[in-house]
Amino acid sequence: MASIDLDKMLAKIKSSQWALADIDWDAPGAEKITAEQWPKLKAFMADLMWIEHVGARGFAAMAKKAPNDTLKQIYTYFHAEEQRHANAEMALMKRWGMLDGDRLPKPNKNLRLVIEWLDRYSDDMPLEVLGSVIPMLEIALDGALCTFLLETVDDPVCHQAFARINDDESRHLGVGFHVLEMQGHGDTYIKVLKAIGTLMDPRLILGIASYVPLLNRMRDNIIDMGLGEERLYAAMKKFERIGGRTADGRRNPWYQIISRHGRLVVNRDHRLYHAPVDAMVRLTNRIPDRVMPSRVPTWVKGITYKPVV
Amino acid sequence: MMSEQDKSQLTEEAVANKPTAKKATVKKAATRRKTVAKKAVVKKPARKKSVARRVDKPASVLIVGAGFAGLGMAIRLKQAGIEDFVILERANQVGGTWRDNTYPGAACDIPSNLYSYSFAPNPGWSRSFSGSDEILGYIHHLVSAFGLSRHIRFNQNVSALTFDEQAGLWLAAVEGGRTVQARAAVMAQGPLSNAAFPDIDGLDTFQGKKIHSARWDHDYDFSGQRVAVIGTGASAVQIVPELAGRVKSLKVFQRTPAWVIPRPDFKTPRWNQRLFAKVPASQKAVRKALFWTHETMALAVIWNSPLTRLAERLALGHLRNQVKDDWMRRQLTPDFRIGCKRVLVSNDYYPALQRDNAQLITWPIARLAPNGIRTSDGVEHQCDCIVFATGFDVPKAGTPFPIRGLQGRELGEEWATGAQAYKSINVAGYPNLFFTFGPNSGPGHNSALVYMESQLDYAVRAIGRILGDNLKMLDVKEDVQARYNRHIQKRLAKTNWNSGCKSWYLTEDGFNATMYPGFASQYQRQMADVNWADYQQIPASG
Repeated sequence: MASIDLDKMLAKIKSSQWALADIDWDAPGAEKITAEQWPKLKAFMADLMWIEHVGARGFAAMAKKAPNDTLKQIYTYFHAEEQRHANAEMALMKRWGMLDGDRLPKPNKNLRLVIEWLDRYSDDMPLEVLGSVIPMLEIALDGALCTFLLETVDDPVCHQAFARINDDESRHLGVGFHVLEMQGHGDTYIKVLKAIGTLMDPRLILGIASYVPLLNRMRDNIIDMGLGEERLYAAMKKFERIGGRTADGRRNPWYQIISRHGRLVVNRDHRLYHAPVDAMVRLTNRIPDRVMPSRVPTWVKGITYKPVV
Repeated sequence: MMSEQDKSQLTEEAVANKPTAKKATVKKAATRRKTVAKKAVVKKPARKKSVARRVDKPASVLIVGAGFAGLGMAIRLKQAGIEDFVILERANQVGGTWRDNTYPGAACDIPSNLYSYSFAPNPGWSRSFSGSDEILGYIHHLVSAFGLSRHIRFNQNVSALTFDEQAGLWLAAVEGGRTVQARAAVMAQGPLSNAAFPDIDGLDTFQGKKIHSARWDHDYDFSGQRVAVIGTGASAVQIVPELAGRVKSLKVFQRTPAWVIPRPDFKTPRWNQRLFAKVPASQKAVRKALFWTHETMALAVIWNSPLTRLAERLALGHLRNQVKDDWMRRQLTPDFRIGCKRVLVSNDYYPALQRDNAQLITWPIARLAPNGIRTSDGVEHQCDCIVFATGFDVPKAGTPFPIRGLQGRELGEEWATGAQAYKSINVAGYPNLFFTFGPNSGPGHNSALVYMESQLDYAVRAIGRILGDNLKMLDVKEDVQARYNRHIQKRLAKTNWNSGCKSWYLTEDGFNATMYPGFASQYQRQMADVNWADYQQIPASG
């Protein structure tokens, strides 16, 4: 069992806090972003920032469900830390002149749907679902995207910021897999039954309908940036590898569902999966603005690039 | 403030109440009273002499603290004919909590007609929930109406309390070298008297103004300032609405949202005050009604019952009514059962948080920086002043100063894993020592002073016995105390306080040494009689 001591982890988290003010956002190096990179990077950063922000909201929901106080506190910190990452990424965008004044970049439509879903339903989802999806999102989108970014961008401030972000993320993943295993412990049959029950929850079906096309859209964005999609797949396989390293982890039906889905995502030849999902991405692009959810939850506005307010 | 008429009413009531100290056991005390009173009369001329000379002579009772508890104790002692007592007060004023907590908006969460002594009613309360200055005024009145000032020694900070087994005396070492001796001692130092700053990194690096709610700086001008309030407990919900209107910006840092219920606060009409003054029975009736209303609340806040759900719905309705934004409502919704922590009462806290210049911050605080508060979302909230509404250092597993009993045993050590006493008032091995607000005496639903009165009367009875029967030691038996505590802890396990949330009621290990698991009326019944068989009684030799 690769379990971790959650109390020690909480202490470590508390002692590893950093602030935007710890980084000199005006230090030289911003000019290293090439004119060719700039527009793609802008779109990429906006997505990344929103993914962190959305992940933050996921942790907020998990804090409510945590089975003990230590885990609850850890998730409360992770909620804040994901927000910190989003803030730092927005600060990078500001540094690179990618913000329209002080305004938040607009999230893409898949993200908007995810935001809407999270706001409406995430607090009602069992911890098992979020506890399994979040590590996948973290490892695949967050982890993989950050690596791509560091390979492409030479700005030292970007590296400085992501060194800290990655440091936080490694703790998020550590706890994420620990919880995944924790929840795989016990009677598999009951867990499977419960998982099937939850899967039939229309709220979760809506969630899946928002999550599935998001992965394909991110894949497309990566390709747009001229990066190999294999890196994303490698990261997704990492979820399967780490999550499945113990019997408890493998017994968790949510791990099984999500890692099997991951296999579909990385298999581009699987037309039965990709054709409809790609169609969904195209379809979401076509949804006219007026029918998109118009209500913006307040938590969305909590993001800022300013180190001091 | 109270009028002259009110003052006389207070005194008259007190006098009128004196013979009504009825219970059977008190009768006994009353017969003893004569002897004790005689003693007191003999000592009277001595009192006129200098204080320094009196120190050498043991008093009958020494009381630590001149707040509600200490002064109440003094009044009841006097009414029982025991005049020979000394109150040691570390500050230079009476009032305890109500002297210290003068922050804007400070008020009591319990209606004033219940948060006052039944033996000293005040018909002049201006509101249903009076402010701290009015409560402090009432306390000052107790002092003058009952002639307590000559018993109080100010600026006497007790540093240790030691029992002299040979002499059967408690010795209170006072900072500055003095020692005060007495046959019985009463701890009335208050459980919530030491203001505590939270354990936050960089606390000392902040260069702006720091104010603790219980040590308010009235000279500080808040106008035009950027102010942060840390904490969202009972003090904060009173401070925030007051400050919001005065400052440039107000950021409220919350760790755990509390349950907030509406406060039925209103001005007492003149006719009502006149009625209370003219027909004291009417005020007694109101007090009784308030008492029983609060007693029913025990069902909601102490135990998990259908009333608990009802109380939660009431609080959630209050929240929904006052806060329109979904996310903010989520931030303000507690995720523990109502009653597990102190329930707050406020009508203006939620509206204040939604003012344009106010902001609720729920990110964990990472550290304090020279110019502000850094939260875990990486942002520094710069401010000119931080108000710490972070409560008190509650000695759940210790005592405010070393207390040494028989054979050199030290109470702090014995209480290291959680305090315990017999009926909250006596501890085995520490004879003739009485605790007010002792272990497991805290109410969650009713007036603390209701519990206090029971403690005071119990102590008076026992002290009457010590003096009247000339006992060297009145010491509760170890096994009686142990049995009592097993019972209490068993009952506590079923309460909302022990239902999983973190609160100041519990020690780090989750031991509840603070609250009484029952109705106030149950507590009153428990304290109504002193079962002498529970005590070892050792007569003074010679």
